[in-house]
Amino acid sequence: MALLVIDDLAKTYDKVTALTGINLSVEAGEFVTLLGPSGSGKTTLLMSLAGFTTPSKGTIRLDGKDITHVDPEDRNFGFVFQGYALFPHLSVANNIAFSLRVRKWEKARIAARVAEMLSLVGLDNLAERKPRELSGGQQQRVAIARALAFGPRILLLDEPLSALDRMLRETMQKELRRLHRETGVTFVYVTHDQEEAIAMSDRIAVFNHGRIIEIGPPRGLYKKPSTRFVAGFLGENNFLSGQRADDDETMVEAFGTRFGSTYVKGRRERPGDSLTVWVRPEDIRIGQATGDEIGFRATVVENSFVGALERILLRTATGEEMVATLRSEVAVAAGQVVDCRIDPSAIGVLPNEESHP
Amino acid sequence: MRLRRIIEVGLPRFVAWCLLGFLFVPILVVIPVALTDRDYLSLPQDGISMEHFAALADWSKGWLPSMLTSAGIALACAAIATALGVAFAVGAWAAGGWWPSFMRILLLSPMIVPPIIYAVGMVKLWARLSLLDSYTGVVLVHVVLALPLTVLAIGASLSNLDQRLVQAARSLGARPMTVFGKVILPNIVPGVAAGALLAFVASWDEITVTLFITGRAVVTLPRRIWTSIQDAVDPALAAIATVLLVVTVVALVARALIERRQRQQKL
Repeated sequence: MALLVIDDLAKTYDKVTALTGINLSVEAGEFVTLLGPSGSGKTTLLMSLAGFTTPSKGTIRLDGKDITHVDPEDRNFGFVFQGYALFPHLSVANNIAFSLRVRKWEKARIAARVAEMLSLVGLDNLAERKPRELSGGQQQRVAIARALAFGPRILLLDEPLSALDRMLRETMQKELRRLHRETGVTFVYVTHDQEEAIAMSDRIAVFNHGRIIEIGPPRGLYKKPSTRFVAGFLGENNFLSGQRADDDETMVEAFGTRFGSTYVKGRRERPGDSLTVWVRPEDIRIGQATGDEIGFRATVVENSFVGALERILLRTATGEEMVATLRSEVAVAAGQVVDCRIDPSAIGVLPNEESHP
Repeated sequence: MRLRRIIEVGLPRFVAWCLLGFLFVPILVVIPVALTDRDYLSLPQDGISMEHFAALADWSKGWLPSMLTSAGIALACAAIATALGVAFAVGAWAAGGWWPSFMRILLLSPMIVPPIIYAVGMVKLWARLSLLDSYTGVVLVHVVLALPLTVLAIGASLSNLDQRLVQAARSLGARPMTVFGKVILPNIVPGVAAGALLAFVASWDEITVTLFITGRAVVTLPRRIWTSIQDAVDPALAAIATVLLVVTVVALVARALIERRQRQQKL
């Protein structure tokens, strides 16, 4: 049975719905990320898990026991706050020891545990410093060590890396993965940064407007999203309009051509109905189509050099625009008309959300 | 060029010194007056005398008892107003929303309403409750007057404190009383101390309302001074003013020195 089971959870403030119909199971030892734009409800769910927000409806169960209305201090969940919320009057060691003193551990046991936590996060020589004397990355490590010190089974993290600069963020991502691996603690991680979510998670729950839109492993969500929102939110994407071929039910028409797609089998759409077609920028290549590939001509509207890759904006003969990322050695110039090719298996097809909400 | 320099630099400096003099000379003049050898308010004529300081220490003259009365009332007032101020300020800080700000305005009203109006109201109320001319009555009134000061001082300390510290402490297993004692209180000690000091001083030199609600039984120091000015112009007044002045200066210098040492330790 799953460690943490959230069943039909909802939260409304006055008349504003922050969360609705949330169902989510988290397995022991998993790294689950709640991903979504700001105001999508992900933080409200995390606060409900921590016990700081009381849900209006639904239950949260830990090991099958209902903990929906248990006080935060009795849940034994670690919590890492955005901006860390370290105790400013306590040294690093005393911040880490706080939960142990509250639990009335013996002195020697506390000292040993604090030393262990300090070495886990690599801060052995900073034990006596005050939080304000530490850098952002160091404060972050203290916050994690403090939250893990009493041995919680679940660690809740609320955008812990958002205050750090880019380089430090990548280091801390690796660090969090390592801590997750080494401690075996279940992580529930909130972020609005999809790259962070993809890089760290076992599973991602994508939030929008207070609902979970899709749940799945990062690879699955990226390669086979089943909603337009997820296809657009996770990584960059191009959306084009297409339609189901009216004479052959396995074919989709788009890019001024037609191709076979496994998607259309057993769908509600009738032949001739419109569909949304997507293709990732990295799957569009320049050159003559060969074999099964789809070929079309497009004009280069603009190109920009972004390091290892060249980003180009293309406009097709029908006036649809799409972004392609190419390796920089491929030379194209704005105004040039180029042959493009796409492997049909890289093309995704989704219902047209206007006609099938 | 010289004239311009005098106008631009010399004149403002002269005005500044005049203002400082205006502020301090009347205060400093009490020192020679306290040392006068006459028995009325005057500057020393045929040499200085310590007799008026000696009079302060004489129990039967009434200065010492009224000082002790004032100190006792001020201590009680500071303790009660600080405890209530902490309770309100921390509660309002933790709760948030509209009602704490509404309550804060109500609490600050003793600062806004002129003391004389407040005094008239209190006379009526205390007469009905038989609290006129009682220690309890005076302490209660002083607490009400000091409460805005403690709430403001403690509230200022709290406004710099991250609200999530409470959530952090609770997620680590601390119950609300532990959160208060181990997390909130240690972080607002400077505000609590400032609030207590302000409450003490407010009570120590409160005269308007005290005059209305006290008679023969409770004689605070400001009341004793007030009475002595009306009866006879006793130089002991200047002596007591000098004592208070010296105590204040010593306290300010001590504070400055302690702060400097703390800064040096931090560096």
